Amino acid sequence: MNNIEVRNLSKEYDGFLLDNVSFDVPAGAIVGLIGENGAGKTTTIKALFNIIGFKGDVKIFGKDSKVYEKEIKKDIGALFDDSFLSDYLNCKHINKIMKDFYETWDEKKYFDLLKQFDLPLNKLVKDFSSGMKMKVKIAVAMAHSPKLLILDEPTSGLDPVVRSEILDLFRKYIEEDESRSILLSTHITTDLEHISDYILFIDNGKIVLDVPTDELLEDYGVVKCSEEDFLKIKAEDYVSYKKGKYQYAVLIKNKNEFKRKYGITTIDKPSIDDIMLFYIRGEK
Amino acid sequence: MIKGLLKKDLYNLASYKVSLIIVILFCSLAMIGTDAIYWSSIVIGIIVGMISLSTFNYDEISKANKYILTLPPTRKEIVLEKYVLAICSMILGGLFGFGLTLLVGSLLNYLRPDDFVDISLDTLVSTSVGGMFGVALIQAIQIPSIFKWGAEKGRIQMFVIILFLALLISGIGFALDKMGSSLDIESLERIFNDFGLILLLLLSFLMYFISYKISYKIYKAKEV
Repeated sequence: MNNIEVRNLSKEYDGFLLDNVSFDVPAGAIVGLIGENGAGKTTTIKALFNIIGFKGDVKIFGKDSKVYEKEIKKDIGALFDDSFLSDYLNCKHINKIMKDFYETWDEKKYFDLLKQFDLPLNKLVKDFSSGMKMKVKIAVAMAHSPKLLILDEPTSGLDPVVRSEILDLFRKYIEEDESRSILLSTHITTDLEHISDYILFIDNGKIVLDVPTDELLEDYGVVKCSEEDFLKIKAEDYVSYKKGKYQYAVLIKNKNEFKRKYGITTIDKPSIDDIMLFYIRGEK
Repeated sequence: MIKGLLKKDLYNLASYKVSLIIVILFCSLAMIGTDAIYWSSIVIGIIVGMISLSTFNYDEISKANKYILTLPPTRKEIVLEKYVLAICSMILGGLFGFGLTLLVGSLLNYLRPDDFVDISLDTLVSTSVGGMFGVALIQAIQIPSIFKWGAEKGRIQMFVIILFLALLISGIGFALDKMGSSLDIESLERIFNDFGLILLLLLSFLMYFISYKISYKIYKAKEV
């Protein structure tokens, strides 16, 4: 069962094309959406909410997102890094407003989260630090216990301790109910290494990678070798390479297969950031 | 759903209340108790009536539109709420202008019996209703343009519209003057007596209705 099914999603702007993007967000999974600025992450998220027009099919909870828009949105919690209800409200105001939007709004849960985040109730959001603002947004997104969380940069502006606390919260949210999902777009890919089940990598409007996180971290590798050794590697056996001053760094997809075929045993484990850089900046 | 959106805008406006009270008091003191007493009800009505449009600015500052579109309210409800707020503020502005003018005028007459200013209730009603109609007209033009171009450009447009209306009224006044007639409060009152309050209400309703339809059409296709 997928909570999100996207097929051939396309959107064209001046100088940018989101090109036939297709992906799924399975129930019980956290999917990390990564990519450079302007790669199409936010455009994809906006399309999921019908904030922008698009070509293609988007199904959420198995229903057409355009036809059942209102019904679907009742079961989604959203967060945008740069957008919120208003900066001129305090947390109590927000509670009174949000309970009119969601029948399932849970005041207790909302105030418990605020307490957990140590947030003042009567201070206006505009006077909060960026980290505090983010915490309010997270509390608001989660307080009606939605089936799906769609989060755009939810950990930006947070210090490592709070980030870890938030990530635990997301993990717990999924563990509580396996029918839930999170689509999480972020620049801080180390967060995804800890919590995501799938990585969706979008580059220049196209999905270039849609794989389980474990597979990405276990099977991919970086081989550092001389030019002579590099020339022995067949093009189909690597993803891309970067030529350094003294050596080549080569991203490979299947470590074990590569070891067996080329007898090279020293293969580094790349981070998601490394893999992303190889895809974006590497040569083939 | 509209209730939640209204609450959001009203809480936003609450942070505006001190400046609003100062402006209204300033206008009251400046105009009430002079020969221009009836204009004070119009000015106060316009100030209060136009406040609702500043909610668009709050939305723009917080980039609220993108977030609101992730919530259950539909685009139709989002547009409708702005009109509900605009109409309520127009009515409130009219009542407030009428009440404050009457209250402060009577108080000043009591305090300065030598400088007595005659306040006719009929004239005060006519000017207040006239002011409300003016606010309705500006809102009906303004709201679709804000939905189309945003609050910043919309504000510039508002000044252009007000300037245009002022020039139009001055032009009509000048033309009437040349024809040997004059545009004064009494003639405004005569217009109300001749055409009636109902006609103005119907006209306001029609303006809002057309404006709402245009705004919804714009917002339905808008990408934020």
